[in-house]
Amino acid sequence: MLASSTLAMADIIVNPSVNVRSISAASLRNIYTLRQTSWPGGQTIVVFVLPDNDPAHEAFTKEKLGLYPYRLRQIWDRLSYSGMARAPIEVKDENELRARVRATPGAIGYLNKDAGKDTRHDGIKTITLE
Amino acid sequence: MMASRQSRWSSLLLAGLLGASNAGADGFTDTRYRIQGFAAQTLISSTNNNFLGDSRDSISTDFTELGLHGFWLPLDSLQLSGQVLYRRAGESDQDGLRLDYAQADWRFYQDDSTQLGVKLGKVKIPYGLYNETRDVPFTRPSILLPQAIYLDTSRSVLIAAPGAIFHGSTVNTYGNFDVTLGWARPDFDSEAVEDVFLGSNQPGNLDGTSAFSTSLRWDTPTDTTFMLTYIDAKADYAPARVDYLAPGSIRVRNLLASVQQRFDTVTLTAEYNEPRNSRSGLGAVLPDAVRDSLSYYLQAEWRFHPEWELVVRNEINHRDKDDKDGTQLQAARGLPAHLLYTDDWVVGLRWDVTPNLMLRAEYHHVNGTSGLPGPDNPNIFATEQRWNMGLLQAAYRF
Repeated sequence: MLASSTLAMADIIVNPSVNVRSISAASLRNIYTLRQTSWPGGQTIVVFVLPDNDPAHEAFTKEKLGLYPYRLRQIWDRLSYSGMARAPIEVKDENELRARVRATPGAIGYLNKDAGKDTRHDGIKTITLE
Repeated sequence: MMASRQSRWSSLLLAGLLGASNAGADGFTDTRYRIQGFAAQTLISSTNNNFLGDSRDSISTDFTELGLHGFWLPLDSLQLSGQVLYRRAGESDQDGLRLDYAQADWRFYQDDSTQLGVKLGKVKIPYGLYNETRDVPFTRPSILLPQAIYLDTSRSVLIAAPGAIFHGSTVNTYGNFDVTLGWARPDFDSEAVEDVFLGSNQPGNLDGTSAFSTSLRWDTPTDTTFMLTYIDAKADYAPARVDYLAPGSIRVRNLLASVQQRFDTVTLTAEYNEPRNSRSGLGAVLPDAVRDSLSYYLQAEWRFHPEWELVVRNEINHRDKDDKDGTQLQAARGLPAHLLYTDDWVVGLRWDVTPNLMLRAEYHHVNGTSGLPGPDNPNIFATEQRWNMGLLQAAYRF
């Protein structure tokens, strides 16, 4: 649908408290469009994102969600400014994203696979897309 | 002059406040609370008629929007949110700073696919695709929302009101479903609103008594949105001591149908309605009447570059379905026929210079004056049927 062969692949990461090993594409899209607000079992989801113009964000939204970044921003603005949902928390780079997901129960985020210099499995969990 | 100088000072003050909170943005960014906001200034120039200020053969700077939005999640089942808005829009809106909305949303049922809740307070009223965020420039498809559906002169009736709204949403393989059902006490008491419903600003008070609203929205897995909104709002008129109107009431009923199809970079949108306005008991000057109007728009947006978007739209409005071209009005009361219709072609360009800064330009080619703000054009005999308008907007967000 959205060809992006030049873009890097993105890994989906969650806080270790999140009791899932894999996630469906539909569920991931529902989480990032703020439709699904809790994990199975009831834990509240906290969504982390990189800035709209970050290449890793672009790769993630196009490959994993099938949505362009501007489209996601429209959805977040509509739901957050009307008071219907909490907008995702935007962090400045992948280091901060890794740190925030590690520290926040229920958190979900994503990392560029090439950015794996840090010990990525230290305190965060990578989950697979079904 | 004094008033405009004062409002310029208050906009500077608010801009300062926004700047200060922006500087401390990192401190506010916690997982459970959030402050965000925007500031926008629009320049308007037009031919033949005024739109939001003295725009005719001149440049009006009288369209300023500043907003500060707060969100707090004290419990997983309780969301508090609100917005403070500074808005100035020509002669129709000189209220300046106001509380736009403040609501508590209790989510009494939540699982991983379904949420049920009730919102209490000064609540945002769901109405069509854009109403709930109509003052956030970034969420609009163009500088001005389609006036055929989102008439700015009667905005205060629909924007937010004290009340309660039940809402439910669920997501499954057929897409996402949202339902709302609410009661509120709408605000009819402004010069611009009286202009729309009573023909001109009257000495007495028009007080909203009740509004019932319900909406159903379906977002399909194929990126199509279907939405129906129904609203039934009533207001009572209490005459002044010296008044040619008698105590009476007005009622607005409307079913708004909205549809949107989203492709990767193209968005097609249409909204259609036939609002029914009725009035009774106001006396011989405004005899009891029921009038159906008709309006719709068709809109195409194209994000041809990640930072650039083109929008083209045609808006149609007939204030009286039984007198579409206004000839009966002209014959019966000697008023200009073009008061009863608008056919507006809009072309606009949006440039997201950075994720925080947006610049926009837009051009309107208009036939008819039913969408003209009355307070900016006090002499209806001086308005002209055909007019054009250009707008430029700069908007910042944080």
